[in-house]
Amino acid sequence: MAVLPCGVHFSSYKQAKAFIHTPAQWASLILFLVFLLILPHIFPARLVSAASIMAIVLVVVLGLQITTGLSGQINLGQSAFMGMGAFATGALAINFHLPFWLSIPGGGVAAALLGIVFGMPALRVKGFYLALTTIAAQVLFPLLIIRLPSSWFGGATGLGLEPAKIFDISIETRTGLYYFVLVGAVIMTFFAFNLTRSRTGRALVALRDNDIVAEILGVNLFLYKCLAFAIGAMFAGVAGGMWAYHLRFVMVDQFTLWNSIWYVGMVIIGGTGSILGAILGTVAIQGLEELLVALGPWLSATFPTVGGTAWFTGLNIVLGGLIILFLIFEPKGLAHRWNVLKHSFRIWPYPYV
Amino acid sequence: MIDFIQYTLNGTLIGLLYSLIALAFIVIYRSSRILNLAQGEVVVLGGFVVYTFMVQLSLSLWIALPLSLLTVLILGFLMEKGIFRHLIGEPLFTNVMVTIGLMILLRGLMLVAWGPAPLLFPEVISSDPVTIGPFLFSRPILFGGVFALVLFFCFHWLLEKTRWGLTMTAVAEDPVCAQSLGVSVKRSVAMAWALGFFLSAVAAVIFLSGQSIGFLASDIGLVALPVALLAGMESIWGAPVAGIIIGVGQALSQAYLDDYTAGTMSKAFPFIVMIIILLIRPQGLFGWKIIERV
Repeated sequence: MAVLPCGVHFSSYKQAKAFIHTPAQWASLILFLVFLLILPHIFPARLVSAASIMAIVLVVVLGLQITTGLSGQINLGQSAFMGMGAFATGALAINFHLPFWLSIPGGGVAAALLGIVFGMPALRVKGFYLALTTIAAQVLFPLLIIRLPSSWFGGATGLGLEPAKIFDISIETRTGLYYFVLVGAVIMTFFAFNLTRSRTGRALVALRDNDIVAEILGVNLFLYKCLAFAIGAMFAGVAGGMWAYHLRFVMVDQFTLWNSIWYVGMVIIGGTGSILGAILGTVAIQGLEELLVALGPWLSATFPTVGGTAWFTGLNIVLGGLIILFLIFEPKGLAHRWNVLKHSFRIWPYPYV
Repeated sequence: MIDFIQYTLNGTLIGLLYSLIALAFIVIYRSSRILNLAQGEVVVLGGFVVYTFMVQLSLSLWIALPLSLLTVLILGFLMEKGIFRHLIGEPLFTNVMVTIGLMILLRGLMLVAWGPAPLLFPEVISSDPVTIGPFLFSRPILFGGVFALVLFFCFHWLLEKTRWGLTMTAVAEDPVCAQSLGVSVKRSVAMAWALGFFLSAVAAVIFLSGQSIGFLASDIGLVALPVALLAGMESIWGAPVAGIIIGVGQALSQAYLDDYTAGTMSKAFPFIVMIIILLIRPQGLFGWKIIERV
């Protein structure tokens, strides 16, 4: 499978572990980053907002990819972990007047702690039983937030935040917020890619493939199962923090079980176990949603008999259908399709090597 | 004291209804090893099918009900034909995830077909309360509880005593072994889904009678999850026992603890029980303990 670009030969493990091998790959990565940087200046305002939301969701899905895809621990509570991060960030910013570069990591840590609490049963149970504890996390989370004193997390009314500040400059404009979440998303993506080739990442994959064998081989199950949840939830928490500063309003209704389920859908369609898959899945599903929002008025005007709301609820049918079809026909997701494409491009014009 | 007994009895009856939905989980799980996370959506779908026959086609109850039950049985069969036949032998992860896809798909289909606004479900069972001695019961829930017990007898007999049910159980224990002994895994999975859909539709009729029906009613599937888990995912008779424990616990916490916790305790109770069960005895009260070998 692993056909490398022409002329790449490894002479050290370090080279073999690298993600980028050729100058052309460096060039395309830099071009892509430049594209992300100039995006707000060439696209209309609505698309810039959509791109910001996409960047936040990407970080959540990256976390879910680490917990579920990489480590094999089913997690249906990612949205609750994101909410924990958002509320913790908000509380730190409001009650302790911390700047965003302290409050967002604080939110990440708070989410990681919650992740550990609900990941702890993973040591005793696995498979769908784990799905149940994370559903419990998702159900208990809003009840807990509403019940806690409202001076902590704002209770049922939610939290309103001041804009994030860098050297007394408020980040309030659409473009400013876009750059703000973009930096966060790039850092977290970098972290996620590097995690997969570290010792921790390999231990998590061993855990997924067979946890009993992994334990026999010396992987500390308790530590790494907790770590799988902690890292995944930490991503969600950081995303929640960015969300808090992006919307400047945090409420329990923003973090539902249904959102968690959509995140799982993105992981499946992108490809479980691959960081690239998380990116592809998020872009595909969020892009589809955005496309439907853009086409909605036109569709309603062209087919007036169908009714305006049917198109948006139809997205559920598309996503649900896609998940089922992908699981049946392409369980490795879009990332695998992308690799197949790359492979056939490299060996062209031969069908195989 | 009268109040206390009243709360307990009501909790018992509600618990029996929970266990009816939990039984749908259990029937699907013990015949195909699939945890159907879309159970709540399936219940609502059953409700909508009954609604369509009774209200939109305005058939009388005794024609509409058999027709709806037949429809959901066929829909259940179609689940196997369309989806689960292709996933036999796939890892558990895939099977859990596919029910998540099913959940999103069913919700989307129901939203398109019946719209997002809640509809008024017909009063299949009249909502006049029943008075027995000093106690007052809601009629649908009383009838539902009794009916649930009858169904438990039927399903116990079906799955534990008939050859047909035992072959389904054999599939749950070891699909490869069952297949090699001549048991059709596909047929077992199809039967499981048909029965699961049937039970969900019955539960929907009892639950929704005289209430409003909308896609948000699927939350009931979430409350039934802890019941199925507490019962043990393979046990028919575990379901009513667990249902009664959860139902009574919820009713009592609603009566005595909700004042101090602003209405939180009764909602949180089933899930707190679920986490405790997962930590102490993951196989539930009456489930099979499976030892994993490498």
